[in-house]
Amino acid sequence: MAIGDLAFLIPLLPALAFVLTFFLGKKLPNGGAIIPIAAITISFVISLLITMNLLQNPEEVINQSYSWFAILNIGVLVDPLAAVMLTMVSLVSLLIHIYSVGYMSHDRSQSRYFAETALFTASMLGLALSDNILQLFICWELVGVCSYLLIGFWYEKPSASSAAKKAFLTTRVGDVMFLAGIVILFSDLFRIFNGTIPDGVYILRFDEIFTHIPEIAAMNANILGMEVSHITIITLLFFGGAIGKSGQFPLHVWLPDAMEGPTTVSALIHAATMVTAGVYLVARTFPMFMAAPSSLLVVAYLGAFTAIFAATMGIVMNDLKRVLAYSTISQLGYMMLGLGVGAAIGAEAVGISIFHLINHAFFKALLFLCAGSVIHAVGTHDMRQLGGVAKVMPITAVTMIIAAFSLAGFGIPDTIFGFSGFFSKDPIIESAYLFGSSSGMWIPYLLSITAALLTSLYIFRLVFMTFFGKPRTDYGGHESPASMTVPLSILALLALVAGALTRTTFYEFVSETFVNDFVQMDIPALADIGGYHLASHAGHEPMLILWMPLIVAVAGLLVSYLIYGLKVVNMDSLVSRNNPVYKLLYNRYYQNAIYTDFLSVKVIYEGFAFAGHAIDRGFDWTVNWISDLMIESGEALRQFQTGVIQTYATAVIAGVGLLIVLIKVVMEVI
Amino acid sequence: MIPVELYIGLAAIIFSIGLYGFMTQRSGIRMLMCVELMLNSANLNLVAFSSYNADLTGQVFALYSIALAACEAAIGFAILMAIFRMKDTINLDTFNVLRW
Amino acid sequence: MLNDEVSILFTPMKVLTSVYNFFRPRIIGMIVAFLFLAVILVSVFFTSWPSVEQIPQNVADQSNIEGIGVLIFTDFVVPFEILSIVLLSSLMGAIYMAKGDGNQ
Repeated sequence: MAIGDLAFLIPLLPALAFVLTFFLGKKLPNGGAIIPIAAITISFVISLLITMNLLQNPEEVINQSYSWFAILNIGVLVDPLAAVMLTMVSLVSLLIHIYSVGYMSHDRSQSRYFAETALFTASMLGLALSDNILQLFICWELVGVCSYLLIGFWYEKPSASSAAKKAFLTTRVGDVMFLAGIVILFSDLFRIFNGTIPDGVYILRFDEIFTHIPEIAAMNANILGMEVSHITIITLLFFGGAIGKSGQFPLHVWLPDAMEGPTTVSALIHAATMVTAGVYLVARTFPMFMAAPSSLLVVAYLGAFTAIFAATMGIVMNDLKRVLAYSTISQLGYMMLGLGVGAAIGAEAVGISIFHLINHAFFKALLFLCAGSVIHAVGTHDMRQLGGVAKVMPITAVTMIIAAFSLAGFGIPDTIFGFSGFFSKDPIIESAYLFGSSSGMWIPYLLSITAALLTSLYIFRLVFMTFFGKPRTDYGGHESPASMTVPLSILALLALVAGALTRTTFYEFVSETFVNDFVQMDIPALADIGGYHLASHAGHEPMLILWMPLIVAVAGLLVSYLIYGLKVVNMDSLVSRNNPVYKLLYNRYYQNAIYTDFLSVKVIYEGFAFAGHAIDRGFDWTVNWISDLMIESGEALRQFQTGVIQTYATAVIAGVGLLIVLIKVVMEVI
Repeated sequence: MIPVELYIGLAAIIFSIGLYGFMTQRSGIRMLMCVELMLNSANLNLVAFSSYNADLTGQVFALYSIALAACEAAIGFAILMAIFRMKDTINLDTFNVLRW
Repeated sequence: MLNDEVSILFTPMKVLTSVYNFFRPRIIGMIVAFLFLAVILVSVFFTSWPSVEQIPQNVADQSNIEGIGVLIFTDFVVPFEILSIVLLSSLMGAIYMAKGDGNQ
């Protein structure tokens, strides 16, 4: 029995763990944490073995499809892309679960926590190994529900429950777009088949979708006088879904607020389970994006813009977790940029983007768990009250610094020396350069290199403010227990070496996602459908471009060391409410004012309230009119009920007489 | 031999008189009398048709219905007495608890 | 003088008023009763009653009392018995109701 036959167990075991923990967790020690940990461990082992197998012969992807109903199916697809996702998700989730045992030990509803995280992991694993877009969508929605439950885990806090609602509603905007994309795709495929689908063909399976890309691309729709290809519409709608889940620019507002949940949940959302779903969706449907160059452009520009937009806000935040949240948004922007520049480098874009996703998962989970460790020990999020934590929490400090170096992307080009973040971020920036040189659009490159500088700046600001210097307030800290430091160490090791060890194999491995015995995609041919040509592959950039990311990272480190480490520059004049730039950044570009106060409250809430009121009035008027009519006619008619027998008798006799006359007349007529 | 139409016509006239009385009179006793009148017009019909058909059953039933009319009258007067005791009048206009 | 004139002048008015006062509460009943009568009379007199073969009357004994008595005590004896019970019970009911409670 091949290990691939067990692939369906990967999401099923955590789902089973959810049920068991939910019902039995309260009776077990630690809220029944052992059940999801065991289940996810098995999932991790299976996914690791499958990945090993796939590495040897990447052609033999695992695909099992079963007819679900009509022309839809459920199935398992483990190709290189899914395999690395599965391994990453199960590993990070496993570590976070182990860490949570310590972190959540004081919480009353531990069992609910572990049940929900198990379901979260299960749905994300299910999402990763779906072989059709509908199953992917179902898991996608499950992920959304779980994020709602977990962000609002401490639902007694009003801020937590409103953050949960915000997350759910914001991602829902994207979900609706995704669903619309699926519907359009389904109707297009149905039309291609002329409504007669042969047996054994499941039209929403990825291989069917990809085979019919040229036909879909040939369909045109007329939108506002412009001829737009259906493939562009569908991919843009899919990307809309990805924007919502992955926190890209217009719909990123939920992500910082998601900090209201437990820190471990933030780690889970930011690293492993939720925000990567959008990137994964774009990577999974990448051949479609290849055939739609305008969509790829949107992806690239929006990714680059999000990267710098979030990084600028990260600089001024004082909340430990909020800095990390904006960092996540920024890094997701990088991943989207990496996919968007696929217009220049083809399928390799999936490789580098997913590589960054994996590495980011490790170091971002690490950052969050370190922050959680600090918060757990110290009891405050506010960096201004911290400082010198390194003395009391050495392990946490060291792992945090490793993660920070990884995030900032330290490493020496063309060698194997470097933190894992370097090996994934560097190629993205280089690809952006290639994209610029082949298409003449330099904006993504410029934005991404500036964002790299800002990234280095904000993460070392965090490190210096939190771990070095003198304590600013009196806090009693202690190092966290082993259940928390062991996952930290494992993640630190991964953040340190994973990139260096796997980089070349990884690109090639994931880039082969679309050429195997499940799908055979000719990426350059798809580019031809889109009407453009792929540029040459990465690696021929000028020396300066190769070293540029490192230079800006070091520059960021130095600047933040000067400002926050040595305090040679007095920031007090800069950091004040009178400085318009600082004010703009500190108020997060007035997003709250725009989204919550204006869009939600003024437009949607009050607009809907007004419309609802008007409709309500309309209904009221109609209903009241009908009832008034009834009452008045009743008033009029009840005059006949005199209560005097004679009246009734008269009426009866008159009626009988009339009846006789009528019958007579009718008989005569007949 | 008197033709049957005349019997029926007579019965109809008596019935109409009873009807008119029932509809216009306000006194309970008069109304009861009118009801008797209508009942007797029906009896007249029964007998007339019995004779017309040469079948005695109709006449037997006329007898029965006379007996029933006696019952009805007895009960009716008893009710009227109860009403009188309640309202100090047998004017049925005032007895309109069934009114809206 | 004046009174007489006035009374003479208003006598037709008085008659009309009294006529009006007589008819006003009865008019609906009158109309309905009259129309009903008309309907029935019309339908009775415009029906052609088939002339049935008259059973030869027993000239010797024209009375039919004997026949009725025989019928009552043969074919219709059960209704007769029931009728007796109905009469008795209605008698009792009437006495009970007319007596009232606690009057005597």
